[in-house]
Amino acid sequence: MTAIQTLHILNKSPDHPRATRCLEMVAEEDCLLLIGGGVLLLATDNLPGISRVFALTQDLDARGLANLAGNVSAVDYAEMVSLSVQAQRVISW
Amino acid sequence: MAETASESFTLVITGAPYSSQAPQTALGFAQAAVNAGHRIDRVFLYGDGVHLASALCAPPSDETHWPEAWSQFLAEHSIPGVACIASALRRGLVNETEQKRYELPASNLRAPFEIAGLGEWVEGRIKSTRTLYFHAGD
Amino acid sequence: MSTLIMIDQAPYGTWSGREALDMAFSLAAFDQAASLLFTGAGVNWLKKGQEAGGIGQKSVDKNLAAAPIFGIEAILADRAACRTYGLDENSLIEGVTLVNADAALLAAYDHTAFAG
Repeated sequence: MTAIQTLHILNKSPDHPRATRCLEMVAEEDCLLLIGGGVLLLATDNLPGISRVFALTQDLDARGLANLAGNVSAVDYAEMVSLSVQAQRVISW
Repeated sequence: MAETASESFTLVITGAPYSSQAPQTALGFAQAAVNAGHRIDRVFLYGDGVHLASALCAPPSDETHWPEAWSQFLAEHSIPGVACIASALRRGLVNETEQKRYELPASNLRAPFEIAGLGEWVEGRIKSTRTLYFHAGD
Repeated sequence: MSTLIMIDQAPYGTWSGREALDMAFSLAAFDQAASLLFTGAGVNWLKKGQEAGGIGQKSVDKNLAAAPIFGIEAILADRAACRTYGLDENSLIEGVTLVNADAALLAAYDHTAFAG
């Protein structure tokens, strides 16, 4: 994977104002990791246009969204740790 | 990109157990970080996150006991857990020192959590290679 | 190591803004570079003339006006959010810099954090 400038960790569901703010900030050099209610973004048509979007498997499963995981990369906690280490910065929204 | 060196993390939890997923997500992350050979420098509870340090939680037996799960994890790996004093006192999480200082009827801080100021967070940020925040989702 | 503390929630109804201010002031007290960015409903923290005594809270506009003395490097407010809430130079406290809260702004800081 090419360098990750910022890992944006988003746990707010799509209706939350901070979700919109986060999505406005993600750029191609960044990664977006959806956790908690943030995984609901997959059920909308509003995924950002960047290539590296991830979602935490356990949170997808909890919300019955495992079938949508094909649109993004489903990751576990180990990969969440790995992403946070690879990124130059991490912003927890 | 290979991770060759082990990293150190400060984890800040601002969401309360049973009100948010923050303690659960943070524990999943923390366990994975330790398993990957990284170090958790400290866990800092801020705002509503201080409720994770309560000794008085009695959740139903079929639900995860988050304060207990976190206490066990911290003790097992000798990781300092700190509840921010300003957040804790406002919300009624006190240790024996604060109980005496404020002449309160009881103390309720769960070991091994300690109470300290935001300086612990500042120090963690300086010393750790990464600082992550686990907020409530609302 | 510079930090941007972001406040996007309105004052007095929740405590996360107060807790964010405490974070920023703590950083400054330990000689760490810190700036505040108010956006969304959070820009209402910057309004002049707040009198919170009647709801049992302390107004923060005086603390914020004194922020530079305590070592806070900048008080930034998102231009679009200020417009949304009808805040202009006359209604904002002293010392606020209007900015576009965008990725380029955040990229200028080593750390960006919310209090909750």
